[in-house]
Amino acid sequence: MSNANNLTYETVQIGDALGPAEFYLSKDQVRAYAKTCGMWTPRFTDDEAARKEGLPGMITPGNMSLAILSKLVTDWAGASGARIVRMGTTYRQPVMPDHTLTLQGFVTHKNESDRTAEMDIWIESEEGDRLVIGTATVHFPR
Amino acid sequence: MSTTLDLHSHSEASEDSRAPLEAYLNWLKLRRAERPVDGVVLTEHRQFNKEADYRALEDRFGILVLKASEVETDYGHVLVFGVNDEMTRRFDFANVHLPAQEVIDEVARMGGVAVPCHPGRPNVGLCEHYAKKPPLENVIAVEVLNGGSRKGEDERSVELAQARGYHSVGGSDSHLVSLIGLCATRFEAEIRTIDDLVRELKSGEYAPVDFRPRRKPVPHATPVEVKQA
Repeated sequence: MSNANNLTYETVQIGDALGPAEFYLSKDQVRAYAKTCGMWTPRFTDDEAARKEGLPGMITPGNMSLAILSKLVTDWAGASGARIVRMGTTYRQPVMPDHTLTLQGFVTHKNESDRTAEMDIWIESEEGDRLVIGTATVHFPR
Repeated sequence: MSTTLDLHSHSEASEDSRAPLEAYLNWLKLRRAERPVDGVVLTEHRQFNKEADYRALEDRFGILVLKASEVETDYGHVLVFGVNDEMTRRFDFANVHLPAQEVIDEVARMGGVAVPCHPGRPNVGLCEHYAKKPPLENVIAVEVLNGGSRKGEDERSVELAQARGYHSVGGSDSHLVSLIGLCATRFEAEIRTIDDLVRELKSGEYAPVDFRPRRKPVPHATPVEVKQA
């Protein structure tokens, strides 16, 4: 398996793992993100108000889940100079704060012509449900 | 000779997947020891590509590739195996409100098998519809093992199958390359064509198989309420 110390297009292999990394997401972090992004709405800040909207409690903004997953990829890429050129996600279930999330991914294929690698990425709940799934394309410099 | 097939998968032909078939097959080759499946069935959402020919990829990877479809009905999502011209003329596969009973009966009359998938899933599964409407007739099998199921969904599906006497199948419902083959169906017979698959689905000589790795439990965090100033 490749790692951040020697990560290049050539060393990356199909099947290489990103993570798994456990990440505790607090309600305060979600509130701070929501406030910073101008998303200061009850569903992202307050359990009771979120329940009034029919949600199980305050939830994590989709953009924040995307950001968390992008960190999984950039941590993997490390100082290699590789950069994310595309990410796409599907939100299957709400990501509830004050829980431990597991972030995971795998390199699934490579494109020699543009020196990119494709990877699957997802956020898992403590029960093992995949809450957010997605893919990312990472470009490697020569 | 038995055959193990992932009966439910979505390639990049489905709008919510970016997984190329070639990457699926390569992944299965890499993970052969963990996921010993002999083939996959592409069940693209609301469509059937009659012209698609995957023989070159089948030969290259030594993995069977069959084509089916996942359609949407008034009783949830249904996998249609053995799709032919008569079916695609009879039904508009893009219609998200197909009449489930007609799909099941007509697909059977035209030589195929319709299998409701992820029945335990809210909104798009059979269980929720059975709570409000009469049960469907002539259902042969349902998907009780789905790689995309949330906690409790497959359990509800198993209960339904047992209560109604349906046969049980499994499929990954993969939309990501790395999830292909995690759930599958093991058939007692050899399957090499879609006609073989239809015949065996009718026979009932099969069972779902789960290749998902055992997961290390993640301890539940203790919620802490932080009062806002």
